[in-house]
Amino acid sequence: MSPGTTAAMTPLSSAIIFSTGNIIKGGRSTLEKSNRELINSLRQNIKDASTADKAQVANGSTSPKLPSWFENKDDVIYVPGRTEPTGLGEERAEYDITVKLFYLPGIPIHERCAHTRQALDHVLQELGVSSVDLLIASFPDVSFDAEDHSEPSEQAVAEWTQAYRTLEELHLENKIKKIGLAEFGATRLSKLLPHTNIKPSVDQINVRDCCVVPKPLIQLARAEKIELLTHNDCTDILPSAALNSLLQEDSATFGSFGRVGAQWVVKYTAVIQDRGVVENKGYFAMAKPASSS
Amino acid sequence: MGLLSLGTPLSWEEAKPLVDLIRERGIEQLLNIWKKAKGKERDILLWGDEIEYLVVAYDENSKDARLSLRQAEILKDLAHDKELQKAGGCVPSLQKVTPRAGQQCPTFHAEYGRFMLEATPGAPYGGTLRDLLTVEPDMKKRRVIAKQHMADNETPVTMTSFPRLGVPGVFTQPYYPPHGPIARSLFVPDEIINPHIRFPTLTANIRSRRGSKVRINMPVFYDEQTAKPFNDPTVSHDLFDYPEDADVRNGAAKEGHVYMDAMGFGMGACCLQITFQAKNISEARTLYDQLCPLGPIMLALSAASPVFKGYLTDIDCRWNVISAAVDDRTEEERGLKPLHENRYVIPKSRYDSVSTYISQDPGFRPEYNDVEIQQNFPLKQKLLDGGMDEPLAKHFAHLFIRDPLVVFSESVKNFDINMNDNFENIQSTNWQHMRFKPPPSGEDAIGWRVEFRSMEVQLTDFENAAFSIFIVLLTRTILSYGLNFYIPISKVTENMETAHRRDAVLSDRFYFRKQVFPHRHANRSGKETASTNSGHSSPGSPEMGPVEDEYCLMTINEIMNGQSGPDGFPGLLSLIESYLNSVNVDVETRCELARYLDLIRKRSNGTWETAATWIRNFIRSHPKYEKDSRVNSEINYDLIKAAEKLGSGEGEGTELWKGLFERR
Repeated sequence: MSPGTTAAMTPLSSAIIFSTGNIIKGGRSTLEKSNRELINSLRQNIKDASTADKAQVANGSTSPKLPSWFENKDDVIYVPGRTEPTGLGEERAEYDITVKLFYLPGIPIHERCAHTRQALDHVLQELGVSSVDLLIASFPDVSFDAEDHSEPSEQAVAEWTQAYRTLEELHLENKIKKIGLAEFGATRLSKLLPHTNIKPSVDQINVRDCCVVPKPLIQLARAEKIELLTHNDCTDILPSAALNSLLQEDSATFGSFGRVGAQWVVKYTAVIQDRGVVENKGYFAMAKPASSS
Repeated sequence: MGLLSLGTPLSWEEAKPLVDLIRERGIEQLLNIWKKAKGKERDILLWGDEIEYLVVAYDENSKDARLSLRQAEILKDLAHDKELQKAGGCVPSLQKVTPRAGQQCPTFHAEYGRFMLEATPGAPYGGTLRDLLTVEPDMKKRRVIAKQHMADNETPVTMTSFPRLGVPGVFTQPYYPPHGPIARSLFVPDEIINPHIRFPTLTANIRSRRGSKVRINMPVFYDEQTAKPFNDPTVSHDLFDYPEDADVRNGAAKEGHVYMDAMGFGMGACCLQITFQAKNISEARTLYDQLCPLGPIMLALSAASPVFKGYLTDIDCRWNVISAAVDDRTEEERGLKPLHENRYVIPKSRYDSVSTYISQDPGFRPEYNDVEIQQNFPLKQKLLDGGMDEPLAKHFAHLFIRDPLVVFSESVKNFDINMNDNFENIQSTNWQHMRFKPPPSGEDAIGWRVEFRSMEVQLTDFENAAFSIFIVLLTRTILSYGLNFYIPISKVTENMETAHRRDAVLSDRFYFRKQVFPHRHANRSGKETASTNSGHSSPGSPEMGPVEDEYCLMTINEIMNGQSGPDGFPGLLSLIESYLNSVNVDVETRCELARYLDLIRKRSNGTWETAATWIRNFIRSHPKYEKDSRVNSEINYDLIKAAEKLGSGEGEGTELWKGLFERR
């Protein structure tokens, strides 16, 4: 079956879920910045799935069916199609599972609550677990800058708080053991903290020129028992333009989508704590056809 | 330094009829351990380093720095320290050491050289990244404690080789004349050997078994005023005290070389060794194989020993000196005479690079074991019959071609299959650049371990910590990404030779694998599979090309910092950085680790010097240097003082420090 024949799928699906699968042993792309890592491993995962399909069909080992790199179920399209969840190799207690949720720019704030739950559920399912150890929320308008002391607007604080409520709920539901924030400087952090019922445990910052962390942030973090972690993620994790150009590479298959808009991205890692070995790392991303968003 | 069993050691002639028995028992013990421990799973990462010190004694009147022979007294003093006793004790050979939580006391050990001291952390480091930050403080603490238990004029120095070991005249405190009955050396007295009976026996038995003294020739560094051709002027040809005195009359000393003739020249060198616990036997085998090609690279990068027996040489590393210093092979085994009494022609010393890979990873190709190795086939058959797989049985059968060198009569009488003494007798006198360590018998707590043995000890604890941490991070990166560093094992051996050359770190190139990532299989059945395997190709994986296409020559800078271009080798440091970006690291830890990784980066790209280059330049720019390759006592005194200053941290920020840690 040629990929073109599947173009008959409905362009009206409400959501498209992209997944990379476990990329930790995925080779070179793991050396790249997270935005390129994401796009390149999505491309690789789609390619792998379609290659496997073609091989299967060529071998005649299974009767032709919808290729597994593409699945349309309950008005959601999965790219590539879902497979058996990977799960964990060892006991859950051995792992430190971290999820980083990237809220993307231009997405209505009121959808963040549903997005958060959706994104987390995909990770829980993929890893076969009921909770993660840490969920770090990354807001599109927040980027850590050692020089930036400007006061955030009340509206911004209200928006963070709204999303943070969901994290608190998930914490109470025991799906998240610790809550983390990304790129919050001291000023932003001190504005948000009064609105939180469950304090964040982690603030993840990108220390480009290593070791220059502003004193106020260090002091605030110490006082509030917030651990300062480092990361090297790109804030603009999945520009819709990049996603659309990925889809255009295979327009026979994805042409009917029209333009899509990325809604959220989630990155997950499962690390075996006592050995410092990363067993699983991957991304999910959700996009909507531009017309329906 | 292996086991320090007590008892009555047998001379080589007495031991000879027992060697087959010891080996057979050793294999029985090994099989017993293997059967019990092969299913051990999920051991956590624990690891430790070993640092060796030279104990130097200054004579301020004559401005001389000599080797102190007070190892035993210093260890006794450490054992009697009331504070250290309260903390659980620190000399396992003299007292019962009971590690107490929270106040780990480092442990001190005797070494071959009576002028040496070995120190290890009191308890292994844990597996978290934060634990890595305790390494340098622990090393510094060890040095301080060691120094506190030395005489006022003594000091511990982390210099790989003592520049004036074996020069004519005084180089030890107190002085002893050379040419004793044990080593029979023209240059070093028997009194430099740790008097514990194991060590003199080892020395004498290597000499007896070999049938001559060991023969160590290292190329001299020809400076402007060095006599050319150079014939080591310190060699006496007219002694007739021992049969071995004829060695030099039979051409033992090579023209153009510094000649040495005793085990102490090698085993008196100081190293930095790292041992890790793996999660299970299979992970240990993976790490053994994957670190194997790194051995020569790290040797060149840690090069610290350009001077032997008072001469600047043309090599930067100790490895080959030790290799020759314990080479017990007979003339038959060295291929000089047809086999008659011996069973094998053996191309390498007991102390040499690894000759066979042992892992069964999918990334392994049989072509990588491209060297035919001698094996003890009857014993191998026992291992195979006991259920051990071929590659591992082959590895041990290779180690077991060697004879036990020190046999205690007590251990011959009392054989216990649940002990490991006979096994360790062979295992721990095979000094290869990696060591695969089964759990000690009967001890459930300890798992399968791998030892990384090629590195030279560094002048400062900052560097020693950096090298240790780099290796630990590299193992985590290898395991996480499933990296594949395999090259044919013969190329590893070639690299080991290359690593010795003067300034190999910047001037030479090493065989290294180009494509280290696993091939990604288009496997949609659920679990991600990744492998570089398999002879036959599956959909999505490229055909295996010729092995020769998998590697090329790279500089150490390229290996560490990467090659340019999208298909260039990414560099071990960026692989480690990428690993660190994939795990949760707190800011402080990340910044500290950056400091250590920066050392590796700058050493590799030539911004900072190796200790070997630093020592070389120190000597050649010394006002008392006569450009004749000779390192006289005044230069040596100043050099050791400088090394002490750097090692103790007093030099930090000074011109001296900048000399080692500043752009050349």
